[in-house]
Amino acid sequence: MLRQPLSRALALTSPTRAAPLAARRFAEQVQARPDNVEVFIDDQPVYVPPGTTVLQAAAQVGVEIPRFCYHERLAVAGNCRMCLVEVEKSPKPVAACAMPVMKGMRVKTNSDLTRKAREGVMEFLLVNHPLDCPICDQGGECDLQDQSMAFGSDKSRFTDIHFSGKRAVEDKDVGPLIKTIMTRCIHCTRCIRFASEVAGVDDFGTTGRGTDMQVGTYVEKMFLSELSGNIIDLCPVGALTSKPYSFAARPWETRRIDSVDVLDPLGSNIVVATRTNEVLRILPRTNEEINEEWLADKSRFACDGLKRQRLVTPMMADSRGNLTPCEWEDAIVAAARALRDCPPDKLVAVSGDLADAESLVALKDLLNKLGSENTCTEQYFPLEGSGIDFRSSYLLNTKIANVEEADFVLLIGTNVRFEAPLLNARIRKAFIHKETDVALVGPKVDLTYDYMHVGDSASIVKDLATGTSAHEVLKRLESAKRPVVILGADQLKTQEGSALLAYTQELALRLQDKLQDKNWKVLNVLQRTASQVAALDIGYKPGVGKVLEAGPKVVYLLGADAGVVTRESLPKDAVVIYQGHHGDVGAQAADIVLPGAAYTEKRATYVNAEGRAQQTLVAVTPPGKAREDWKIIRALSEVVGERLPYDNLDEVRTRMSEISPALVSYGDVQDNNYFAQARALAQSLQKPVSGKLDVQLKTLEDYFMTDSISRASPTMAKCVQAVLKQKQSPY
Amino acid sequence: MFKVISHTANLTRSQLSRSLPAFSTSATRLAGDPTSRKEAPIIDNESVLTLPEKAKERKALDTAIVVPVKVDLSPITGVPEEHVKTRRVRIYQPAKNAMQSGTNNIHHWEMEFDTRQRWENPLMGWTSTGDPLSNMKVQFSSPDEAIEHCEKNGWIWYLDIPKTEKQFKPKNYGVNFSWNRRTRVSTK
Amino acid sequence: MLSSLRTGVQGLWRVSARSLQTTSALQHDSLFVHRDTPEDNSSIPFEFSPANQKRIDALLAIYPEGHKRGAMIPLLDLAQRQNGGWLPISAMHKVAEILNLPRMRVYEVATFYTMFIRRPIGKYHVQVCTTTPCWLRGSDAVLKAIVEATGCQVGGNSPCGKFSVSEVECLGACVNAPMVQVNDDYYEDLTVEDTKEIIEKLKKDEKPKPGPRSGRFAAEPLGGLTSLTEEPTGPGYGLQDALKA
Repeated sequence: MLRQPLSRALALTSPTRAAPLAARRFAEQVQARPDNVEVFIDDQPVYVPPGTTVLQAAAQVGVEIPRFCYHERLAVAGNCRMCLVEVEKSPKPVAACAMPVMKGMRVKTNSDLTRKAREGVMEFLLVNHPLDCPICDQGGECDLQDQSMAFGSDKSRFTDIHFSGKRAVEDKDVGPLIKTIMTRCIHCTRCIRFASEVAGVDDFGTTGRGTDMQVGTYVEKMFLSELSGNIIDLCPVGALTSKPYSFAARPWETRRIDSVDVLDPLGSNIVVATRTNEVLRILPRTNEEINEEWLADKSRFACDGLKRQRLVTPMMADSRGNLTPCEWEDAIVAAARALRDCPPDKLVAVSGDLADAESLVALKDLLNKLGSENTCTEQYFPLEGSGIDFRSSYLLNTKIANVEEADFVLLIGTNVRFEAPLLNARIRKAFIHKETDVALVGPKVDLTYDYMHVGDSASIVKDLATGTSAHEVLKRLESAKRPVVILGADQLKTQEGSALLAYTQELALRLQDKLQDKNWKVLNVLQRTASQVAALDIGYKPGVGKVLEAGPKVVYLLGADAGVVTRESLPKDAVVIYQGHHGDVGAQAADIVLPGAAYTEKRATYVNAEGRAQQTLVAVTPPGKAREDWKIIRALSEVVGERLPYDNLDEVRTRMSEISPALVSYGDVQDNNYFAQARALAQSLQKPVSGKLDVQLKTLEDYFMTDSISRASPTMAKCVQAVLKQKQSPY
Repeated sequence: MFKVISHTANLTRSQLSRSLPAFSTSATRLAGDPTSRKEAPIIDNESVLTLPEKAKERKALDTAIVVPVKVDLSPITGVPEEHVKTRRVRIYQPAKNAMQSGTNNIHHWEMEFDTRQRWENPLMGWTSTGDPLSNMKVQFSSPDEAIEHCEKNGWIWYLDIPKTEKQFKPKNYGVNFSWNRRTRVSTK
Repeated sequence: MLSSLRTGVQGLWRVSARSLQTTSALQHDSLFVHRDTPEDNSSIPFEFSPANQKRIDALLAIYPEGHKRGAMIPLLDLAQRQNGGWLPISAMHKVAEILNLPRMRVYEVATFYTMFIRRPIGKYHVQVCTTTPCWLRGSDAVLKAIVEATGCQVGGNSPCGKFSVSEVECLGACVNAPMVQVNDDYYEDLTVEDTKEIIEKLKKDEKPKPGPRSGRFAAEPLGGLTSLTEEPTGPGYGLQDALKA
């Protein structure tokens, strides 16, 4: 019998799979349920809460009513009229998306009247819609195309092709990501609603009226948001399409591989569309617990960086110090010799932003076998107190979906908008729909919603923690039923990091102890990179400061491109081995380069900021001679003479589950406890703090290029240019 | 172990067939009704008169032959061993296309193999692959069926359950005009 | 031969039948996007005058807290009046600033209403009604007279910069057709001579007397009353005796 894949065994033993955590409701939220109303959709009875729209009620019984303007995550607009349905005893067809159900309502979604109404609406929409489907990028995945096939008329009354033609609207320039062909616009206003509700950038609107109405920005202005790409998805026609992807492929030519994004710490779920071993575009995939159905621009558009600046062959420094291509055998042998000849205490491994859990485990096992304990990550985290012993100290314990339920959010030293755009979208959602208030300790930044700015001094956190602050925020926090405190991991790398963490823990725990809802978690640390949580789980030491001071002889960089290990910080004779996929900062400093695979090219595990393990799938194969990362380390171990005891991915994952079962329970996230212990251990660290909190990503131009993939992406470079250009504009 | 699978399967099944009545009570009600059986049960002469050994033999012949449920077809399918033993099948529900609002073609389960190398064929520019299984996307109505199919063929599988369940929240056109300050400023 | 016949038939058909789209697409005479011009760009400052500031305070006081955006149209109108009859982009920005709204929300309103004019305009904006009742009563001649007298094209400004002429749909004074509106005043029951006289007076910056030119006071019948000519009856008329006090 073959070994059963571990994922399967784990998937089957964890009963939480069937009951997603998003469904968890909090104690006082359960309200007395008003009596449901019975309505009939095509004679099928369905019971729905009063106030539900006809369209939603129909969805409950699996009847899908066609729509253009309605979107379940946006406000109801009711302007496309495509969802007209017949309601018994109603003289006219009604718009299902805006009509609340009434008791005993009988809706006919497939009657003659309904079909005639849809046909009429379709005809009006097509009167001014160009027939350019063959050259339209939306062709093949166009709602208008599909719905005109299903509900439109079979003939045309449009006889005017010799005269004035159809309405034409001039195209807008809204930046390097979105291409507009405004003549195709059917005025569904989804983009306008997205921009104003979700993205929080009120730049879109309708100007003019009647046949002159157009969707646009009125003035020459780019749509500068970190979530702008989503309006491409939302557009039901081809009016807004992806500029980098324009004229690249048809949807039926591409293969779609479900995967996970690693360019921000949230691990948004994505679909990678490929053709001929090339990633063409990345689309979001619905995951209610992480990204809903949105995707941040970096995750979506940085995929062209996967084709550039790649390391496609092993390389070694020649006598002049220039990296020259070589065979795998030579590179591995050279690396193995360096590793073997190095005294264990002078051997250091540094993992970077995009390292997957498999390669992290393999590298740590190899170093441990060689007698070295010097495995560390680039991002720092204070080790004083409980350090990284408790998972709760470095995770987003509230969880992304639950942030929506919060009634007060305190951000400490983080610009969530650019560090984790979709978490910010959740906070904004709570701000708008649930009256959640937000306060920020740190530099004043634009978060797309109003917040109380408490100041940027670290001592504020101390005052809040000790309860001596006179600021209104303290009162608000103490009276909140579900407060959330989010600390940016960037703050922890300073001298005062440990004290700041200790105070934040103190504050969060003090609040948590007073809550009625005992399951609510207050303390959150927002990591900056996709690999950090997995690395800390596995036991990497955060930060390279100490190991570099010791003067290492061999440094193994596993995709370490943040620039914390530089040639200058190492002794002259140190050997640097770089394993990674992009020729970036790390490879420049290296003596031996081992080409690895990017996240779209391997089945690998990433743990997001919540502590949720997810796996990427192979969408394309690594370019040239590049190989999967854990296999490189496994091969190296063989040559070093310290063979790692795993030969395939299942065995690596078994090893991972030995280290922490959380690393292989894909899709799940466990509740963390041990807050009190962490707090007790941190008590002694509550020293006076005086510094100022600062964040790395302040404005939009800082957001686009943060890691080796996005730095290699021409689209991201264009975005930076566009933002800088827009800054010169008066609008 | 199969409990969870069947549980999830039941979940999906009930979602799929929400429109159908879950069960019918009419048969059980009739069976319990004493008025439907007014006479004593008729006993067959033959069954009373047969010898015990004969009856045992007849009973043995009456029972259906049980075919082993677990069938392994891999030795006879002719699929190269390399493709059976080293590959993994992902069983999943197709994700909704983010570009469209329709959901009609995603209410089933699919299986697919891990991706292997593809390249552009220099002759026509089409995509070539050396992987005979790359286009084998089979659709199933439940994960149970997919699992059974994979086990029958000897493929190693794993289940990927999407997290798409959403809390039901009634939408309301009137919210656009509510007195709530924040919604009014932000929405059109 | 055959093809010319076909075009002839098509031509006939075109004239005789109007199907869904055979009207030429009527485009508005103004643009619905903003283009920076020397007269209208965001770097030209706009401030409300002190008198208008007071008016704004009074207007804002009408609307409840959180619904101050209701004052947008009055504010835009104030801005337009202050700015000589048209609304520059910097005025829209100012209104957005006062109401604490995104600028786009103001652009939307300003482009929706045709009475907000977003291009430089003459001191006198002559709007000639050419809808059916006025047209039947000779609005074409009136329009022609205005165009000749002012020297500006329909939808444009006069060379002297004093006049702008636009052709508008019904202004609701059909009883007094034909009529024109000059800024806020209606001039009704016009003849070509009347029109010329009005324009000449305006050229000299005199204000012609608004209202009907036919000697009527308002919309009463031209030839005197034909009904309701007797003395109006007093209160209690026709009431049955029992109810009379």
